[in-house]
Amino acid sequence: MNFFYGINNNFLKSEIQIPTFQNRNFKKTNVKLFKSYPENGKWVLQEVYKNKINDYFYILKNEDILNNEIFFLADDNIYDKFNNKKLENFNSFTDTSPAFRANLKIYLKQGGFSSYQSEYPYKMITKKGSIVSPIASIANSNAEKNYVFIKNIFQEPIEDIFRVYLVNYKTKKIEEQFEIKTNYTNCIEINNKHIKPEIFLVTEKYLGIPMYVSIKNNFLSFEHTHPPHEYILSENKFLKITDIKKEINEIIS
Amino acid sequence: MKSLVKKLANTDLGILIRNSINFKPVYYKHHENKFPGSVSDAFLWRTDNGYRTKFKFSDILNLFYKIDDSWVEFHFYSKTNKLIKIEKKNNLLLSNEFEINSKYLDNLEDYGTFYIFHYSKNKTKITNEDIISNRCYLGYSQNNNLYTFVHGNTFAKFSNINSKSEVLTNIVKTSFLKNQTYTIQKYFEGFDKNELFFSNPTNKLIKFSIDRRNYKLKPNNTLKLETASPIVSINSNCMFFRPIIFSYKGKYMDVHHA
Repeated sequence: MNFFYGINNNFLKSEIQIPTFQNRNFKKTNVKLFKSYPENGKWVLQEVYKNKINDYFYILKNEDILNNEIFFLADDNIYDKFNNKKLENFNSFTDTSPAFRANLKIYLKQGGFSSYQSEYPYKMITKKGSIVSPIASIANSNAEKNYVFIKNIFQEPIEDIFRVYLVNYKTKKIEEQFEIKTNYTNCIEINNKHIKPEIFLVTEKYLGIPMYVSIKNNFLSFEHTHPPHEYILSENKFLKITDIKKEINEIIS
Repeated sequence: MKSLVKKLANTDLGILIRNSINFKPVYYKHHENKFPGSVSDAFLWRTDNGYRTKFKFSDILNLFYKIDDSWVEFHFYSKTNKLIKIEKKNNLLLSNEFEINSKYLDNLEDYGTFYIFHYSKNKTKITNEDIISNRCYLGYSQNNNLYTFVHGNTFAKFSNINSKSEVLTNIVKTSFLKNQTYTIQKYFEGFDKNELFFSNPTNKLIKFSIDRRNYKLKPNNTLKLETASPIVSINSNCMFFRPIIFSYKGKYMDVHHA
């Protein structure tokens, strides 16, 4: 099952297009869009009524999106299944190959826009851990501004503060650190001096999806980085990744 | 008997038959550990219409295997699969980048596909079990504006990390019939123009249709199409056939994979 999310802040707007069809099986379905967010230690569940633009898409505009909200597709049985203490794998509608995705677009009022096909898989919300993301892979040192948006979704309705580090892999030193929170779309600004091959963005305690935004002359670039296990296809991938994460965790601990 | 059937079902012909009748279809198949493999996506380069392409890649062998003297090779092809150039890069950093413009490609203003392969002489830190894949990031800049980035999208070719032998393909599997449908999960309305770039990741002929028009894409060729449909479905005989999408509005452009 996949969850979807957006970005809401004072310099960027976002829009999410959530399809109600599977990518290998294009047909009308009865799935509906729901949103959930943590409040007073519980998950709140609400159906999204207004935003179905035709038989195949919901489109959420900037005013329909908050950083602590997540969206998912389900049928009316969700009211029986929903557990306000823990997000669960409510259905398999979005378990497809290729992955079921929504188009997440950011834009500026001046006209620049950029998007990518996004999703937050259920398997990521049940785990704690750390992400490792090479800053220089997408951040652009020629841009006026570079940001990393980090979306975390954790199964419990908690708003826990955790740290993000910019780590220098060569010198084994922390260059900068930030605090972000769970169940939120967080934003951190990256100083251009940190856009170097040896700098990695690392989280402690929680996973998330790092999405990189660059801005120049009202043009935008928006893309996420791959998790390290995508670079190794052989069965020993998790051993290799454990090794590098261990090395980096020693720097931040 | 059972194991013989299983063996036959996993041969190239067996997979082709399974895919054609949609019986336990196989979308991908990597090579079977006869050598350490470096898998490349089919990466789109553009130098047409004022475009430049930036390519960013990691030194995977250094980062994950602590091999600090590896190198990479780039193989550039035209849209009709003619080899343009092979370039070797040594002295890699953990993250590397370079720009592909028309000057770099002998003043060619067009589009096509390129591949990256990692090589090393080291046979102790890397074994026949190891397969790496550099998914990389491609930036596209039109008229000298900001590069907008997208990651790799389709496994296409692989080579032996320890030896510059033959480069192999057909990781993505095909079918006899045009029985695969993929509908892009994006609503294309409201743009001035939408371009779809298809790269054939196989050495087989791919037959496909979009908007009730039929196309044939020769082995490892690349094709640009425009679509005006708000919803785009692709019917093909390829098990994993997704384009790179460029959407335009005013002077602004967006690129992402499908």
